[in-house]
Amino acid sequence: MTGDVQVVAAPGGGCHIFSGCGYPAPGLQDFEFKPIFTIGSFGFTKPMLIAVLCAISVIVFFAFAFSRPRLVPRGVQNLGELAILTVRDQVLRPALGRKGDGYLPLLVSLFFYIWLMNLMELIPFFQFPAMSRIGFVWPLVGVVYILYLYLGFKNQGGWGYLRNMIPPGVPFFILPILIPVEVARFFIVQPFTLGIRLFANMFAGHLLLTIFYLATWYMLSLSIGLIYAVGSAFMVLFVFLLELLVDLLQAFIFTTLTATYIASSLEAEH
Amino acid sequence: MGLSRREAESRREAEGKGRAQGLETGWTIMSYLLGGMLAYGGIGWLVGRAVHISMLFPIGMLAGLVISLVYIVYRFGKQQAPSSKQSKQGAEPRPPRKEMTGDR
Repeated sequence: MTGDVQVVAAPGGGCHIFSGCGYPAPGLQDFEFKPIFTIGSFGFTKPMLIAVLCAISVIVFFAFAFSRPRLVPRGVQNLGELAILTVRDQVLRPALGRKGDGYLPLLVSLFFYIWLMNLMELIPFFQFPAMSRIGFVWPLVGVVYILYLYLGFKNQGGWGYLRNMIPPGVPFFILPILIPVEVARFFIVQPFTLGIRLFANMFAGHLLLTIFYLATWYMLSLSIGLIYAVGSAFMVLFVFLLELLVDLLQAFIFTTLTATYIASSLEAEH
Repeated sequence: MGLSRREAESRREAEGKGRAQGLETGWTIMSYLLGGMLAYGGIGWLVGRAVHISMLFPIGMLAGLVISLVYIVYRFGKQQAPSSKQSKQGAEPRPPRKEMTGDR
């Protein structure tokens, strides 16, 4: 048993409606975990375990799929090719075209790592999306941010990259008004929203699932509460299916935006 | 058969391109709104601290919002221009909506 199961189950365990205790509302405590083991002051927690397992799973899957590639794919290679071609045709090519094929390994890794990390909220025993801890999101945003800044300065030059942020044809006297907006958008808001969107969706999804799981357990009794427990159980199913979609969608949005940011760094938008 | 597959591929590519552009435009617009408020809110806050007028912070944020809105209309309104020009040249002018004429 790990941290969140203990925290969630302890107040909800023997706590039902009309038994004299209130609804054990989930909150931030459900996102805190006791370390599985510690090395000095460093504590290895469940979200870290999930992050490591997801990374290993993605690496092992693709390594296994393409360890002995054949011209006519068979078995796992079929699945691996399908995965790569989906990202190429749905994410990379629409934003970058054929010249962006060199970024396919990055986008495939990002997409499947984020998707798997998100899906962990629906898999029994794990039941936690590591991306709902913002510390796991910022490193990915950092990689994307450093990459598109590097590519922008490399391909358009320092001055050209900054100049291309403003569309051509803007009157000269307007420039001082627009430059602060563009600088704030490009260097602060763009990476910030890229990370916050993923984090907030996963955080809200996990909270929503926990609310209905707990409510179902709390209402479960031989009383009028049973009707509400059934309703809440349906909501669990509904939110579960919704989260299946959200998990995929968030991975897709993060990767697509990464591709469009890289595209805008490779050549001027206007 | 080969042609239809190529057509399907190009259609899929065009759909994907439209989706990526739509996603980017949407988030760019939101980034402009936040960026304007952040930039001018920050400037207002700094100036307000220097001259001891705290009202400059919210005024700066509102000014940033207005600047962003005008900029969004200028930048993304301009992208629609060719299609409206095309409709003027090619298709029949659209008749006024009944709600606008009041003729029901």
